[in-house]
Amino acid sequence: MKVKKAKKKMTNRERSEFLWGWLFILPTMAGLMILNIIPIFQTIYQSFFKTGSFGRGNIFVGLENYKRLFADTAVWQALLNTLKYAIVEVPFSIIIAIVLAVMLNQKMRGRSVYRMIYFMPMVCAPAAVAMVWKWLYNSEFGLLNHLLEAIGLPKVNWVSDPKIAFISLAIVGIWSVIGYNMVLFLAGLQEIPKDYYEAAEIDGANAVTQFFKITLPLISPTMFFVVITRVIASLQVFDSIFMMIGKNNPALPKTQSLVYLFYRYAFVENNKGYGSAIIVLLLCIIMLITVFQMKAQEKWVHYN
Amino acid sequence: MNWKKVSAVMLVAVMTASLAACGGSGSSDKSSDTKEESQDTGKSLVVAIWDSNQEPGLREIMDDFTAETGIDVDIQITPWRDYWTMLEAAATGGSMPDVFWMHSDQIGTYAEYDDILMNLSDKIKESDKIDLSNYPEELVNIYQNADGDQLAVPKDVDTCAVWYNKTMFDEAGIDYPTADWTWDDFREVAKKLTKDDGSQYGVAIAPANYQESWYSTIYAYGGEVLTPDKKKSGFDEPKTIEAMEMIENIIKDGSMPDYTVLSENDSTALMEAGTVAMTFQGSWSIPELAGNDYVKENCDIAPLPNGPEGTKSIYNGLGWAASANSENPEGAWKLIEYLGSKEAQEKQANLGVTMSAYEGTSDTWVNSQPGFNMQAYLDMREDAQAYPSSKNTQVWFQMMLEKMVDGFSGAKPMKDVCEDVAVEMNKFLAEEQ
Repeated sequence: MKVKKAKKKMTNRERSEFLWGWLFILPTMAGLMILNIIPIFQTIYQSFFKTGSFGRGNIFVGLENYKRLFADTAVWQALLNTLKYAIVEVPFSIIIAIVLAVMLNQKMRGRSVYRMIYFMPMVCAPAAVAMVWKWLYNSEFGLLNHLLEAIGLPKVNWVSDPKIAFISLAIVGIWSVIGYNMVLFLAGLQEIPKDYYEAAEIDGANAVTQFFKITLPLISPTMFFVVITRVIASLQVFDSIFMMIGKNNPALPKTQSLVYLFYRYAFVENNKGYGSAIIVLLLCIIMLITVFQMKAQEKWVHYN
Repeated sequence: MNWKKVSAVMLVAVMTASLAACGGSGSSDKSSDTKEESQDTGKSLVVAIWDSNQEPGLREIMDDFTAETGIDVDIQITPWRDYWTMLEAAATGGSMPDVFWMHSDQIGTYAEYDDILMNLSDKIKESDKIDLSNYPEELVNIYQNADGDQLAVPKDVDTCAVWYNKTMFDEAGIDYPTADWTWDDFREVAKKLTKDDGSQYGVAIAPANYQESWYSTIYAYGGEVLTPDKKKSGFDEPKTIEAMEMIENIIKDGSMPDYTVLSENDSTALMEAGTVAMTFQGSWSIPELAGNDYVKENCDIAPLPNGPEGTKSIYNGLGWAASANSENPEGAWKLIEYLGSKEAQEKQANLGVTMSAYEGTSDTWVNSQPGFNMQAYLDMREDAQAYPSSKNTQVWFQMMLEKMVDGFSGAKPMKDVCEDVAVEMNKFLAEEQ
């Protein structure tokens, strides 16, 4: 009803703005539809099929793929691996980024150089980043173990010890993303009016108190955005595992993520139906977590 | 507030699904542009391969072809690990390269439909350059579909041999391996070449070296990976287990580096670093190893050790296949015909690209890497075993590799691992029927 009323009242100018507005977002909308939204439904549809090669000969099997999924211990192990990775990656990438952002928000020499350095990993191709870290981590020839040896510590099997490998992967993830998070936080910090701090200083609050009482609450909307996007991205971790953990690696069962498993089933073993079922599971999990976060934000996010 | 929630949930959905996007049948959109391109460039052909080591030699052969026919050839390299994803997506979308490499692991999938790969049977019949009796029979048969149509012309053959470090043999006072050495000899030598301080090990074999090493061991002991009718796994046969326990014993002797080292480093890298005295290598690794200065100075090639049934090097060979939907089917066939001809096969061997599939054209290949005993690879052809593959090789193969990690790392006894593999593999094979 409301919409109809609004339409009647629309002036020429409004109508033209309306048209142009839609015209401008049309390319993005089209991209989103073709590359994302349609494939979502295709993937869900496909998860009910036993798929043949080359997208042909699909046989409807109902919930067969899901039955297999729930009985497949590898899937649940992969889910656990993914969550473990996220639990390490998300908090550290955010805490480190916020500390860096606060420090680099102050007036200091070479501030933009530092900002650039921290942002650099974001610009590198993830595959190249993973290759470099793979060599750093190598237990036999890697730089990290050489350094450990030089100071008399025992070697660490960074990527082949199942207990350590997921942390090593998370370190790469953290390293790659702190620059990006930092830039977002910097933008948030610059929104905070200076007079709050001046007032706090007059009241005798020190830097730490200022950070917790002023900075943190006021960048909570940015924080919320970063948390949401980081959780989603970390649950989708794939490239570093694909590049750094080889098929021979004994740590693979304890590090492979859901997306890695999806890749293996869908593309290596050519079972796209089952692969789709795995990705639908991931979709549901991410949705659940996100809905929960949306609910929880009311408790801690302050919009002014 | 509400629209925010809705948009956030949509955002989540979009981000997750963008992963799956590449898997969906949506990829069919891609086909149209590539097709137009190839029309623009006239009669040129796109050729897809995965091994950059072979590119320079193949380039020369393709140039000869261009000089003869006036058809330009563009070689595109996609590394092995991405090659099949690329080709599968291209086949789904109808935009396959005109001519490309086919592998015995994958032919089963591609042979299922008759409008993916070009049927070459009639063309071969009419051709005066290609006679299938000139190529190894098993290799010819691998590239046929259920109706006996030929879908690829054999390109090359590969065999496996042992690379050993002469300097380390000299230092330990051990004679270089000869053609009659056995697996027991091998085990002894490996033990002697291992130093207590961990600076040098006898040998490195990882699960991923299946084709080069332990598949051969299995057949040399009279076992098998897969029964000849491709219906059952051979991993629960006593002789297969005996062979795998031989490998297990070598590991238990301490003649191999710790499993973590094997899992993080290729056997070629360990050879080049002088960490191990012996490794098993397929003939496809020759360009890489022979190009390394350390290897050039210290290493040479020996035949595989003998089991009770001989050496049984696994041999395999690629095939040249063409797309059934090629824009230039005539040109694609001409190229395959040329590549399979005696002339081009001789040149391929002569340039040292690989051993050729055409019988009797590979003799000059042994001279392509002077200073190495290349004859060992050629000799391995005499007592060889065709690479085991079934219709859906990848499915059981991935499972097998995964389980073998436990056997090689010592987490489980090899016997248990083999029996476990057999049970799972039989399930997958039953699904194939």
